[in-house]
Amino acid sequence: MKTDDLIRALAADTVRQPALPGSLVPALIPSLALAVLAVWLGLGFRADLGAALVAPVSAARILLTGGLGLVAARLALRLARPDGAEGMRLWPLAAIAAAAIALLGWAWATTPAEARGMAIVGKTMTTCLVTIPLLSVLPVATLHVLLRRGATTAPALAGLLAGLAGSGLSAAIYALHCTEDSPLFYVTWYGLAIAGVTLISTLVGSRSLRW
Amino acid sequence: MTDQIDAWDQLLAAANAGDARAYARFLEAVAPVLRGIVRARGGSLGEAGCEDVLQEVLLAIHLKRHTCLPGAPVRPWLYAITRYKVVDAFRARGKHVDLPIEDFSDLLAASAGPDPTEATDMAKMIGMLDGRSAEIVRKIGLEGFSVAETGRALTMSEGAVRVALHRALKSLAALRERHLE
Repeated sequence: MKTDDLIRALAADTVRQPALPGSLVPALIPSLALAVLAVWLGLGFRADLGAALVAPVSAARILLTGGLGLVAARLALRLARPDGAEGMRLWPLAAIAAAAIALLGWAWATTPAEARGMAIVGKTMTTCLVTIPLLSVLPVATLHVLLRRGATTAPALAGLLAGLAGSGLSAAIYALHCTEDSPLFYVTWYGLAIAGVTLISTLVGSRSLRW
Repeated sequence: MTDQIDAWDQLLAAANAGDARAYARFLEAVAPVLRGIVRARGGSLGEAGCEDVLQEVLLAIHLKRHTCLPGAPVRPWLYAITRYKVVDAFRARGKHVDLPIEDFSDLLAASAGPDPTEATDMAKMIGMLDGRSAEIVRKIGLEGFSVAETGRALTMSEGAVRVALHRALKSLAALRERHLE
C-alpha cells in the first residue's frame, strides 16, 4: 500500500473521538462514591469522625493520602498526552512522601519506646491491608481506561501514577473508618497498601498502556 | 520553516474541528518530513521498511489526534508520537534506535527525500481484517472511492461505512501491535 493511499483512507475516517478531559477527578467520582458507600455500609464510619477530622495527626493521613491521590491524578492526566512526559516534575509526590516519613519520624520520637511496637502493629493491620487495595480496584481501573484513550509515551510511569492516584484516594476514604491514629501505624500500613497497589498498576500499565 | 509549523497548527486545528480536507492536507504535509526522519534513522530497513514504519506512525497520529491539546503547538505533540512509534517499530524489528528530540529540528529542514515507495506491511494487515472491513479500506484507500460511493457499492449506509472504516483502522493498529511482537 502506498502512503498516499493510506492517507486517503485516514482522511476519510471522520469519526471523532472525544477529547481528553480537563481533569481526571470527575471521572473518578462514581468509583470513589462507591468506595465511600462500601466503607460506610461495610465497615461503618468511625464514631468520632467529626473530632478526628479536626485533630491534626489524625486528619494528616486524609490530607496526605488524598493529596497524594489528587497530585498523582493531575500528573497522570498530563502523561495521557504524548508530549506530556517531556519535562515532567515528580517532586510534588516526593514532597508528600517526605512529609509522611517526617511524620513517621516524629511519631517514633514522641512515642515511648515500650509503646512503639503496639502502635506500629495496631489492631486492624489486616483490615487495612485488605480494604485499601479492594477499594482501589475500581478507581485504578477507571484511570487505566482513561489513560488508554490517551497516548502516553511512558506507559510504566503512567501506570504508576494511576496506581498512586487510585490507591491514595481510596486510602483517604478508608481513613473515614479507621481509628488507628498513630502515624506509626498509618504511614506504615497505608503506605504498604498504596505501594502494593501502585506496583501492580505499574506492571499492568507497562504492558496495557502501550499503543 | 516557521511558516510551515504554523500551517501545521492551523491545519490540525481545522481538522479536529471537522474539516476533512484540512486533515488530508495536514497528513500530506507532515508525511514527507516524517519520512525524512524515519529514513535518516532507519536506512538499514530499506526503503520499503522505512515506508512501513512511516505508515505505522501516520496511523498512530490518526488514531491519537484527539490527544493534541487544542491551541497548543502541534510540533512537540507530533514529534513525541513519532519518536515513540519509531522507537517501537525498530524495537519490534529487532533494532535499537536512539531518537534524541533535538534531531527533529535538524531534520525538519531536510524533509522530502526520494519518491515514496510501496510499503508491504499495511497490505498484509488489511488482508487480516474481516472481508467487509478490508473491502472498505481498499475501496477508499486504493481505489479512491468516496465514503458515499463505497456505501453504494457495498449497499451500506454512509454512516455505517464511516463507523466500519473507523473500526477497521483501529483494528489495523491493534493487529500491527500483535503482529510485530
